[in-house]
Amino acid sequence: MDSPAANAAFAKQIDIKFPLLSDMNKKMLKDYGILKGYDVQSESYQWARRANIVIDKEGIIQHIEEDESAVNPNNALSVCVDLHKKQTAK
Amino acid sequence: MQTRRAIASFLLLAALPVSLVIPARSQNAEQVAKTTLKVGDHAPDFTLLSDQWKTVKLSDFRGKKNVFLAVYVLAFTGG
Repeated sequence: MDSPAANAAFAKQIDIKFPLLSDMNKKMLKDYGILKGYDVQSESYQWARRANIVIDKEGIIQHIEEDESAVNPNNALSVCVDLHKKQTAK
Repeated sequence: MQTRRAIASFLLLAALPVSLVIPARSQNAEQVAKTTLKVGDHAPDFTLLSDQWKTVKLSDFRGKKNVFLAVYVLAFTGG
């Protein structure tokens, strides 16, 4: 996992404006089921899998993509736009 | 882009394979914990540390903003 310090350097490098989060104890990744374990030789490793998840204002999951399908964020972004349209139409 | 920024609080979780070594049971085995979460489920709350060393909780956005959570692997590597 990247530490907050590594994330800060990365955020500065590519000039991003949203928070970069670190899951150092992997709790969130476990809760969301997006941790992948490998046993290689006699040692185990755990990596996160790629995922895009959209959660609405009420805390309900509106969109979830994992692995290769999560490489492109456009589907998740269009879900955000639709969600916003629905919410502002009310 | 301005509207997109306004509608969704974009959170990026950067994960590097700095690994946690735990006792192994078998060799070269792969265990994928497939997510059991699906659309319509309540998202489990989380508390994570941001790059600004601030605590970010999912529940902080409840009733305020939609959240786009991107789990990004190998964010800060040269390769």
